[in-house]
Amino acid sequence: MARRKKLWRFIRFALLAVLLAAAGFTLYLDFRVRSEFEGRRFALPARIFARPLELHAGLRIAQGDVADELREAGYREGAREAAANEAGGWFARDGNSLDISLRPFIFWDGPQPAKRIRVAFDGGTVAGVRDAQGAEVPLARLEPLAIGGIYPANNEDRVLVRLGEVPKHLVQALVATEDHNFFTHRGFDLRGIGRAALSVVHGDRVQGGSTLTQQLVKNFFLTPERTLRRKATELVMAVLLEMHYSKEEILETYLNEIYLGQDRDRAIHGIGLAALHYFGKPVQSLTLAESALLVGLVRGPAYYDPYRHPERALERRNLVLRETRDQGYATMQQYAAARATPLGINPKASVGTSPHPAFLQLVHRQLRREYDEADLRSEGLRVFTTLDPRVQQAAERVLSRKLAQFDKEKRFGEPGLEGAVVVADSQGGEVQALVGGRDPLYRGFNRALDAARPVGSLLKPAIYLTALSEPSRYTLVTPIDDGPFVWKSRGAPDWAPKNYDRKFHGMVPLRTALANSYNAATARLGTEIGIDKVLATVKRLGIERDLSPYPATLLGATDLSPFEVAQMYHTIATGGFRTPLKAIREVTLQDGTPVRRYPLAVEQAFPPEPMYLLAAAMQDVVREGTGQGLKNWVEPEVAVAGKTGTTDEQRDAWFAGFTGDRVAIVWLGYDDNRAARLSGAAAALPVWGELMASLNPEPLSIPKPDGIENVLIDPASGLRADQSCSGARELPFAQGSAPGAAAPCASQVGVAVEQVKERAKGFFERLFGR
Amino acid sequence: MRYAAVLLLLLGACTTTYQTPAPVEGPSGTPPPAARQENVAVAGLMDSARSDAAAGRLGSAAATLERALRIEPRNPRLWHELAKVRLRQGDYSQAESLAARSNTYAGDDRDLRAANQKVVADARAARGR
Repeated sequence: MARRKKLWRFIRFALLAVLLAAAGFTLYLDFRVRSEFEGRRFALPARIFARPLELHAGLRIAQGDVADELREAGYREGAREAAANEAGGWFARDGNSLDISLRPFIFWDGPQPAKRIRVAFDGGTVAGVRDAQGAEVPLARLEPLAIGGIYPANNEDRVLVRLGEVPKHLVQALVATEDHNFFTHRGFDLRGIGRAALSVVHGDRVQGGSTLTQQLVKNFFLTPERTLRRKATELVMAVLLEMHYSKEEILETYLNEIYLGQDRDRAIHGIGLAALHYFGKPVQSLTLAESALLVGLVRGPAYYDPYRHPERALERRNLVLRETRDQGYATMQQYAAARATPLGINPKASVGTSPHPAFLQLVHRQLRREYDEADLRSEGLRVFTTLDPRVQQAAERVLSRKLAQFDKEKRFGEPGLEGAVVVADSQGGEVQALVGGRDPLYRGFNRALDAARPVGSLLKPAIYLTALSEPSRYTLVTPIDDGPFVWKSRGAPDWAPKNYDRKFHGMVPLRTALANSYNAATARLGTEIGIDKVLATVKRLGIERDLSPYPATLLGATDLSPFEVAQMYHTIATGGFRTPLKAIREVTLQDGTPVRRYPLAVEQAFPPEPMYLLAAAMQDVVREGTGQGLKNWVEPEVAVAGKTGTTDEQRDAWFAGFTGDRVAIVWLGYDDNRAARLSGAAAALPVWGELMASLNPEPLSIPKPDGIENVLIDPASGLRADQSCSGARELPFAQGSAPGAAAPCASQVGVAVEQVKERAKGFFERLFGR
Repeated sequence: MRYAAVLLLLLGACTTTYQTPAPVEGPSGTPPPAARQENVAVAGLMDSARSDAAAGRLGSAAATLERALRIEPRNPRLWHELAKVRLRQGDYSQAESLAARSNTYAGDDRDLRAANQKVVADARAARGR
């Protein structure tokens, strides 16, 4: 008897303990549900935008290029009537004009409402912009292209929507397909489970047993394992969620959470992004058929992927439509009409996390100086960059095509030749394009930023700049000895640089030594001035890396990345104003509140006179030196200043140069350092030329500084010429540094006349300010 | 005779100077870019930058000037205005460099050169040099 009593007590005690444990566990779950659901904010990737196109009278851009950019931003062409009632987003060609209906967009300096503009073109330039009333618009800013994001873990991407924005028929299709009794059940649905069981028996698996609430709990809180315990936890949490939150809150969160597909490495989450991804439109504009397709994806985004399995996706969509009709949410007519429409998915090629990952890497690195990685991946920052899509696409296209062509001609086999391109605007230092290799979509090694390669002759301008900074010793015509040169130093083998053509050229004018890239003359000049001085110049030009103070460094036995070279040549292009190359203009919060601007910063690193002389010498490289081949692509009037670079055994081919509006660097070579047997002039220059030619370059025209005078020179002797000297050229000199003697071809009187002319010109220039 | 020739040459030089008041010319004699004509877009941005600066919204003024510089990177007025904004923001080294930059494009504009010189002087004074 007593024993029985004891047993009872034990059972009661055990029961109490179990109950207490269950209650405790429920309390714990309740705490988790509330704290996590409430505190939960969806991690939103930082969104990266290209530069906005700003249209104004006089802008050099063709009608077709503007149309291309609009198309890429998802604007529909010629849909004037059809799209009239949608919120903008179309354009139409009309002879030499473009009618554009701009969508609203939040720029970094505030929102811009939807508006209509009409852009008139005159050949390759914008003639004018007018609004719908015909009034002149001085400056029209187009919506910038989205060029990717910096994503949270697993590359989850989403665009948040409010329940009020979601079309009713989408919610109805979802409920009809996934959870008939969603609006009445308390988190779980016994009838649903029964129906699911039945459908399994029938082999007709339309609906699973889980309610939308359970699905949300599963995605939100739990791991995907399938155990009984997890199922029970899911059930309890679903009930708890329903106790604390309204159906609307649960539904909205569900619609934003749900995984609906994969775009390469990017995971498409939420109905808002899915609408954009599959149909290129905001969720508000989804039709019944489109909504049904998205609802159909809930069960298996990969299995029903409309791109890879269109038939399967269509069948699934029609099944959803049938369910929607059967549940009384759609009439027979609506059903029939929706069923008759094709899939209608966006033909846009999949681009994953970005169509231009190399440029995005640069943006990411520049952002990392100011932001935590975690914030970049979750706060939904909006980043406005300097990328010019037209330049970027041209650079990608030209590089890929040329590399394929060289591969074919040289028959070197796999892996093929590689390359990198950097393009920046020559004034503000904004990076317009960056290509890190032959496959522009490759997300790995970025040669433009991380491939440090010997630069060969690309360093020579720094030597000549150092020389020209001492006009009493060196001018453009100072004779330099290009005879055999040997550098002896203790403990090191002799250094005896050879010329590319394996010849020595005797005494040559300084500008010719640069134009023809003579190694012996340059090595002699560099060691004469002093290696330390040259390296100081390199540093002031913007190269931050320490270079070894050996004479071989002068001829480019030093490794730099194309991006670093771009920085150096940019300083030359600006006439001595060092401007850190930047990829970002502004950053705002998700709602458009500005958080940071990246201002234009310039620092005068050199006086204008030697920079002017150097630019003139570099224009001679293209006019008559190693860069001559450029005339096959770019008009001589563009007066490009540039430099070729080729390293030992032709492992690296470079071309660096600038026009009036851009600085561009091209590098080609093999990743494994094989000899490419391609020179800078033969391989990198054509890439540069073809790229620039496609961008309608602005001629290079550097304003003449006060301390510079032009003097007529006889190229043969490097002395003063008069009109009777054939081939005489006006060359710039620092004031007072030009040679005094007359060339053999010139008479004393003729030279005197020229001198008087120069002085008179200078006098009147001063008198009339030019 | 020789003096007469020189005089003629002087006159010749004089007229050519008058005929081609090109603001800039390239080292290799490239044609100068279009003469400084008022670009409506730039003029509008300049006005809005000036009113921003007058109202003390210096950050916004600088941003607007940079936007204008993207359209007309060789407009010395824009560089000058930006130099003045940086001076007021206390960024003296930028003010100095930007004024120098303005000077490289200032050509025959003596007033502007003088104004740039003043920015440089003010910046140096403020830096205590």
